[in-house]
Amino acid sequence: MPTSARRPPFWRRAPESAALVTFLLLEIVVFSLGSPYFLSWANWVNILTALSIAGVLAAGGTVLLIAGQFDLSVGSGVAFVALVLAMAAPALGLPTATGLAFLTGLVIGALNGFLVTVVGVNALITTLGTLAIFRGLTQSIGGGRNIALTGFDWAIARPVLHVPVAALVFVAVSVVTAVVLNRTVFGRTIYAIGANATAARLVGIPTRRTIFLAFVLSGALIGLGGLLSASQLGSTSGTTGLGLELAVVTAVILGGTSLKGGTGTILGTVLGLLIVGVLSNGLTLMNINSTWQQVATGTLLILAVSFDQLRQRLTQTR
Amino acid sequence: MTLPDGARPFLAVRGIRKSFGPVEVLHGVDLDLLPGSVTALLGENGAGKSTFVRILAGDYQPDAGKVELDGVPVHLRTVARARELGIRLIAQEIADAPTLSVAENVLLGAWPLRAGFVDRPAMHRTARATLETLGANLPLGAPVSSLRLGERQIVEIARAMVGSSRCLILDEPTAALSDAETQRLFALVRRMREQGAAILYITHRLDEVATIADRVVVLRDGRVALDALVADASQPSIVEAMVGRSLAIRHDSIHAAPPPGRDLLQAQGLSSPDFEDVSLAVGAGEIVGLYGKVGSGVPELAAALFGATALKGGRIAVEGRPVTIKSPAEAIRHGIGYLSGDRAGEGLLGARPVAENLAAPSWGRLARRGWIGAAAERRAYLPWYGRLRVRSRPDGAERITTLSGGNQQKVMLGRWLEARSRILVLTEPTRGVDVGARAEIYQVLRDLARQGHGIVVATSDYEDVTAMATRAIVMVRGRIVATLAQDEISTASLTQAAGAGALDHAVPVAKGGVHVPSH
Repeated sequence: MPTSARRPPFWRRAPESAALVTFLLLEIVVFSLGSPYFLSWANWVNILTALSIAGVLAAGGTVLLIAGQFDLSVGSGVAFVALVLAMAAPALGLPTATGLAFLTGLVIGALNGFLVTVVGVNALITTLGTLAIFRGLTQSIGGGRNIALTGFDWAIARPVLHVPVAALVFVAVSVVTAVVLNRTVFGRTIYAIGANATAARLVGIPTRRTIFLAFVLSGALIGLGGLLSASQLGSTSGTTGLGLELAVVTAVILGGTSLKGGTGTILGTVLGLLIVGVLSNGLTLMNINSTWQQVATGTLLILAVSFDQLRQRLTQTR
Repeated sequence: MTLPDGARPFLAVRGIRKSFGPVEVLHGVDLDLLPGSVTALLGENGAGKSTFVRILAGDYQPDAGKVELDGVPVHLRTVARARELGIRLIAQEIADAPTLSVAENVLLGAWPLRAGFVDRPAMHRTARATLETLGANLPLGAPVSSLRLGERQIVEIARAMVGSSRCLILDEPTAALSDAETQRLFALVRRMREQGAAILYITHRLDEVATIADRVVVLRDGRVALDALVADASQPSIVEAMVGRSLAIRHDSIHAAPPPGRDLLQAQGLSSPDFEDVSLAVGAGEIVGLYGKVGSGVPELAAALFGATALKGGRIAVEGRPVTIKSPAEAIRHGIGYLSGDRAGEGLLGARPVAENLAAPSWGRLARRGWIGAAAERRAYLPWYGRLRVRSRPDGAERITTLSGGNQQKVMLGRWLEARSRILVLTEPTRGVDVGARAEIYQVLRDLARQGHGIVVATSDYEDVTAMATRAIVMVRGRIVATLAQDEISTASLTQAAGAGALDHAVPVAKGGVHVPSH
């Protein structure tokens, strides 16, 4: 075959996640030298558990960004869902309140989806708006108090290998989303819409319906994330989930999903989450102040994306 | 060389080569532009004209060769550098800033400043003076997006005139102009020639060569096929230089006139803002050439047949049954496939693999209970890889954007064959495709017609029509002006029908190109 005559250089053959894996290994080597506790099973369970809510939300964030969309409302959505649960539980009982809270997440997603696909507001603006709305609602209805929840501790149970349910949910959501993206027509259409929305419409893809569904998926994960948060903390307040949207966007972009859409994987996003999670865990173990961890995370994001730009330039000059 | 004795070229180009990826599009081009002289540059689509002039304008860098200005070697490394040296290009595609005013666009990149702020009165004075030399009276403060296409072209020309230009390159400037605007442009070109400018004029139209040019250069397959004084070059010799070996393809097509089968697609009285009362029918085995220049409504009609843009009125029937086509998804269900003229913008799923691009409309059929993997797409790709002779990996795993234009187009075509479309509506199927792939695409489409497909080729390239159409419909300003049987189709008859129609029908020109909204 004419094109396979010349073997492409290694950076074209290496999978896109190779750079991320290298980065992660580098971190692991550095921190395992810095702290003897770092490599222990208990510490890795800690890392995974700390990432679980952001991880659940990042699966939806990845699907949306592949389709060229954003959801910045995830953090305040989680807080609002947890508030609905905490306020409804005494009156309706936990099972009904749980259902209602999850439904609240779906409604937030459907609202975002409606505004983006039917009204036609840009996703960034829509979800920036709903971010403010649901944070504001949470704080005014909840009154800034800490509302305690009792008997809702399923997420911190450790059924296997001392791994809490929250972390298992994170892993399960990631695996299911990865399979959906790779192996279903819905997943294919998500990639197609992100690669070229007009071309996708011209091959018969219902672009608006698909994008709406992607926002509803993100909403379902907001619901799940809110339940996880309430169960992990045993309470909720006006500051629950603050900044989660940035953690999610950071992980998704770090994981190699293009801001232009059309490319990206859940594996990449999970690696992105781990790179950030391992960094903050390692720095904590080495007694470095958490304010400096923010500086490190920001630097890492810019470094990783610059590296990716460089890689793209290298692969395209042919 | 055909230099008159004693004349020294203003711009001398030697041995220019340029490749895109593995495809070399210019194989060593030599050209001299004399001061006070108009050189017409002709060539078929894909001959390398646009690439060549973009090198002269500093937009592309050649892989080899040199450019001399007044005998001094120069490096045209940027558009700004070329402008500085007095070389101006008026590009085929309009590249203006739609939301800025006419005056701001005329002086784009050269706004006069006073104390660091834009000197608006000075800007308007210069813009008005420049537009007046073109005989154009446009509202200086209006955004250019509010102008007609032809008027925007005038703004583009005016921008090239600002400052001192010693070498002017015009890339098919009259395509979007009215006759009066064309006459004013010709007057301007003549005036600049008298002032000693060296002018390169790219055109498809032989009649313009005789009207405006002193010398004619023909590019074919990236080489100079003819370089002569207009007085010494007969029209047949120019055409032969342009068409060359592809004449053989043309004769090949004549014997294959299949008996028209049953009507696959019938359209009655279709109307939209871009065309009016258009009726056409396509039978199994037919290739209907829908021919028209910019503003003819041809690409808009093709998009409407596929449901990509809305119709204002009219009826469509598929295989005799009346249908409503409100979206591409519905058109696909009725067995219609479509190629947009804007392959990158509306056809390719750029970041995705070749096989996925081909399989996209067929996902529903290829999937088993909603499940589909890359393997199923690769299996679907393999037969088309062979039949369409796509130069890609057999499994189509590489990104579609790594293929050349011709191979991308074959994949876009294969997309609809895999989707089992019986009716193909193809807009500019050979645009941005090199000469070899063009011949292959013609062959593929003829084969498809023979197998019973009904094909509409909506094009502004007469060769698409002469090479394969079994019937031609010529449109001007949104209306059908002529229908030609296969034995009546020729470059001359098409050009004449499109030109005569332009004079007969004084209907306002439709604005802009076809635009398909993304939702």
